[in-house]
Amino acid sequence: MNAPTSRAAAVTLDGVPKAYVMGGNPVPALRDVNLVIDAGDFVALTGPSGSGKSTLLNLCGLLDRADSGTIALDGVDVSGLDSDQLTVLRRERLGFVFQSFNLVPVMSVYENVEFPLFLQGMPEAQRKGRVNRTLARVGLDGFAKRRPDELSGGQRQRVAIARALVKSARVVIADEPTANLDSVNAAQVVDLMRELARGEGTTCIIATHDPRLSDHRDRVVRLVDGVLQ
Amino acid sequence: MKWLLLAFKNVGRNRRRALITIVITAVGTAAILIGGGFALYTYQSLQESAARDSGHLVLAQRDYFDREEDTPMALGLPDYQALKLELERDERVRVALPRLQFSGLISNGDKSSVFIGAGVDARGEFQVKGPFLKMLGGRVLAPPDGPDAPLEVMVGAELAKQLKATPGTVLTLLSTTTQGSLNALDVTVRGIFSLGVPEIDKRAVYVTIETAQKLLLTDRASQLAIYLDRTENTATMRDEILARHPDRAIRTWEDQAYYYVAVRALYNRIFGLLGAIMVVIVLFAVSNTMAMAVVERTREIGTLRALGTLPGQIMRVFAMEGWVIGSAGALLGVLVAVGVAGLSLVAGLEMPPPPGRSAGYPLNINIDGTLYVTAVVTVVIASTVAAWLMSRQAVRKSIVEALTHV
Repeated sequence: MNAPTSRAAAVTLDGVPKAYVMGGNPVPALRDVNLVIDAGDFVALTGPSGSGKSTLLNLCGLLDRADSGTIALDGVDVSGLDSDQLTVLRRERLGFVFQSFNLVPVMSVYENVEFPLFLQGMPEAQRKGRVNRTLARVGLDGFAKRRPDELSGGQRQRVAIARALVKSARVVIADEPTANLDSVNAAQVVDLMRELARGEGTTCIIATHDPRLSDHRDRVVRLVDGVLQ
Repeated sequence: MKWLLLAFKNVGRNRRRALITIVITAVGTAAILIGGGFALYTYQSLQESAARDSGHLVLAQRDYFDREEDTPMALGLPDYQALKLELERDERVRVALPRLQFSGLISNGDKSSVFIGAGVDARGEFQVKGPFLKMLGGRVLAPPDGPDAPLEVMVGAELAKQLKATPGTVLTLLSTTTQGSLNALDVTVRGIFSLGVPEIDKRAVYVTIETAQKLLLTDRASQLAIYLDRTENTATMRDEILARHPDRAIRTWEDQAYYYVAVRALYNRIFGLLGAIMVVIVLFAVSNTMAMAVVERTREIGTLRALGTLPGQIMRVFAMEGWVIGSAGALLGVLVAVGVAGLSLVAGLEMPPPPGRSAGYPLNINIDGTLYVTAVVTVVIASTVAAWLMSRQAVRKSIVEALTHV
């Protein structure tokens, strides 16, 4: 890994394009994106469908590779890292909240939240304390033994948030986290993410159409046809 | 441990599918164990039959097994009694029995037939034959109680039928002597027997070795049949005896057990193929189950990878799932096989007579530790490998594709 390039920036994209090949033809999803997201920012990524929001999130979350340019996470240039090194970076520094919650159905609430810490190799006693505290923070301390299918949508998303934040991720990537929730649950989830991000100093990058999220943001990044506005 | 727990939970996701795969694996394992157990029982029975028939070792003059005799007993053992005493001093030797092989014509006065005879030591021969000599009438030969003792014969069942002989019937044995002339003896039928092979029962005749020597005008024996305390000692004893008697020839029971060798070769192929087919079925069953699991869990696999799970860790969970299914199936298969083996003992089922034989044999299934361990390990490895191979496609997909999988 290269040396940190900037201490203040959580995520930096420098001249990053991304195109997908469809029917043998390249279809650009992002066009030379230059973006710096500061540590601790609560950033709403907006734009119409197909504007490239998910592609940009995938690049910021190290789930995909840019065609060229440079991406730095928390000061570390990740462009030259191999797949396993990227996996380790995701494990150590990134948290994810998905639109469909993406909880592991055979794991209990506790186990879902515990899993990232287990991957990090944290001792069990330490994991236990951390998971219980995080579950309490998201208001699910009485639900540890439940399975995801025994929870409401809002509760599931809170478990997903707990899973993203339990390891004190530097950056949380959330893709439409309120899209599958009713307005009450969506509001709770937004408040929770905002509060947790503030408390931990975690950078949140959230792709959304939800105006409530835009209202809570520190910054709005708008994408249209793969170009930052 | 955590990964194994996750694997157990994953196996339980689709219980019906997992159960079907476990049952298929169990059936495959049980088929291997039952087929293998039956083959082992057959080998063991044939081995015992062959060893009881010929003796574990057969000692003769050097060229006896390779060259035709110009005159009867030209290659006989003149010192067989001394050899017998010497051999029986070894505690691994149960008994050494002289035999005199001869042939000729047997007649009831009206009808004659060719016979193949054996002059045997009546004191030991019928004890070692055990259940492989079936008496259908009369009694086995008794050692002669003096030079004027009556000459007696035991006749094979089919031959007795041809000659209309029953115990007490007087028959005449006609054979070539060691000088090349013909000699005849009147003998009384003492017993009628069957060795379970109609072709042998049509020709076989037993007399005491003294009677045979009298007929052939010799004091030799054709060979010494050496019975050991344990079949496993055969090779060692052969080497030791040969070292002491380099001028003699020696053959093991296996060298002479053509039927045993042929059946073993045939069964090895049949049951080997059956085993291979069963392993392939297990491989396919587990592959199919895992392939479905991989497709169903694509998005979850994408999530786990996004969270920082390495591809190798995901493959390990799938391999463990295969291991869990394989182990459960193999364990169930072992229980079924043991149950069937026990049932075969209790039920007393009989196999029909094999080709060329007149008697069936018990349908028993051996429970052999090596067979069970080998089968279980093979099935578990096959199941684990199948799952591992299928998991490769789970981690090949990009994370983004996996996360958007519907």
